[in-house]
Amino acid sequence: MSTAVVSADDGLEPTLQSILDQKTLRWIFVGGKGGVGKTTTSCSLAIQLAKVRRSVLLISTDPAHNLSDAFSQKFGKEARLVEGFTNLSAMEIDPNGSIQDLIAGQGEENSDPLSGMGGMMQDLAFAIPGIDEAMSFAEVLKQVKSLSYEVIIFDTAPTGHTLRFLQFPSVLEKALAKISQLSSQYGPLLNGFLGNQGTLPNGQNLNEMMEKLEGLRQTISEVNTQFKDENLTTFVCVCIAEFLSLYETERMIQELASYSIDTHCIVVNQLLFPKQGSNCEQCNARRKMQKKYLDQIEELYDEFNVVRMPLLVEEVRGKEKLERFSEMLIHPYVPPE
Amino acid sequence: MISVLLLVFLVEVGVHLVNTVGAATINNLLWNIYLTLPTEFSKQVAERKTLQKEYLTIRRDLNATSSQDQFAKWAKLRRQHDKLLEQLEKMKTSHESAKTKFDSTVNILRWLATSGLKFLLPFWYAKQPMFWLPHGWFPYYAEWILSFPRAPVGSVSIASWQTACAGVVLLVSDTIAAILGLVLGAKMAKKQPVKVGAEKGPIPKSQEAKAKKDS
Repeated sequence: MSTAVVSADDGLEPTLQSILDQKTLRWIFVGGKGGVGKTTTSCSLAIQLAKVRRSVLLISTDPAHNLSDAFSQKFGKEARLVEGFTNLSAMEIDPNGSIQDLIAGQGEENSDPLSGMGGMMQDLAFAIPGIDEAMSFAEVLKQVKSLSYEVIIFDTAPTGHTLRFLQFPSVLEKALAKISQLSSQYGPLLNGFLGNQGTLPNGQNLNEMMEKLEGLRQTISEVNTQFKDENLTTFVCVCIAEFLSLYETERMIQELASYSIDTHCIVVNQLLFPKQGSNCEQCNARRKMQKKYLDQIEELYDEFNVVRMPLLVEEVRGKEKLERFSEMLIHPYVPPE
Repeated sequence: MISVLLLVFLVEVGVHLVNTVGAATINNLLWNIYLTLPTEFSKQVAERKTLQKEYLTIRRDLNATSSQDQFAKWAKLRRQHDKLLEQLEKMKTSHESAKTKFDSTVNILRWLATSGLKFLLPFWYAKQPMFWLPHGWFPYYAEWILSFPRAPVGSVSIASWQTACAGVVLLVSDTIAAILGLVLGAKMAKKQPVKVGAEKGPIPKSQEAKAKKDS
């Protein structure tokens, strides 16, 4: 696949070559309905990207972590090099879990992390919908920024979750702007009550907390602007050729457009290519149905790179199989005659 | 300059008309007139109407299209549908806020022109006699009451004149209403040659009585 061909006919190339070629990309999201092969696709994309970039990080934000499964290697909250690669790392974060870490980190001096400042954070977390996940997201992004990876791939949770996740920066920014405004207005008053150091009853510092929140807000607004920049961020939709999956994909694409997040790639996974003259009744029926939806996809998403991936007879697990699978993202699969 | 006597009378007539017709009706009438004027706003309203029509056709098409068999067509319609809906919602809010603003402006103006004037005029012309009574025709206490509150004794004050005007306006309007009722009732009775002859009698009778009572 020559790059000349790609640049000449960018929008219609049925591969992910355009993502490999777009060197400015920093954040890549991979999302879709549950069970369509997001993790396999994101792992494969990461493998392909690792060949052309200095360093790649793969993050799973799905509570049901599958990265460990796919690579047959245990990953945790810290970035860890994937075995067999020198520039591909992976980590798994739990959006619900890290709020607990955050609370614990705030109330270090307290034996009970949920009292005092922790309690305040807890109140905050429950007062604003989605803020708990957003805060953990921000924490992760802060970590990631300091790690200086060239590309970061997010393997996101099934559709609904993903979209909420992407909405967080705006939600959190609004909420935090309100809080900082309040604190600057009532801070002096509170300090009058609390004494010169602004110490809260249980030995926490009000000013310190406000500073922390302000820092968080800045990180998030920066991330927000980055996500909305099509040179830095793109979203890869993964679906299968079935009605519900297609419906969800269309909804997701519209919603992404409303957040002004760029998306121009669709991976259609688990396609059946029964051999000529095969008398497998199910396969032929299914092939017919998939073909119908494939035609619809082609008609509807004429400005997207639509990649067709076959359904394999084996599970795609382990480095070698993933590498073989990933080749098909770049070189279109040709069904055997 | 229009004489104060006439002005007070006209204000009373205005107040009475507003009260009988109703403020909301007047507002709606003015609003409809405002919409027909060739303003920027009426253009927006026309635009909204065409959009609404478009939206309805698209919705019909959307309902007629099977999402499973013609997904591409369905999704494209759906996109148009969502876009139009959003546009319409936005237009609706702006339209409503414009109407509220218009209503409040009209309310203020109407109040100033009727009730406001009704309260202000007696203050303004409190000391001025509307006209003088022939000397010696009325006893002193009657003259004092007619000149109440601050007009010179022996004249009719603006407050008394206002009360008189209000009374006349009410009387006249009641009379008109009664006569209209009578005429319309008679017409109705004529139009419906009622099968049962006994019913013919009581209707005009009751209306007559009502007319008497009103006048």
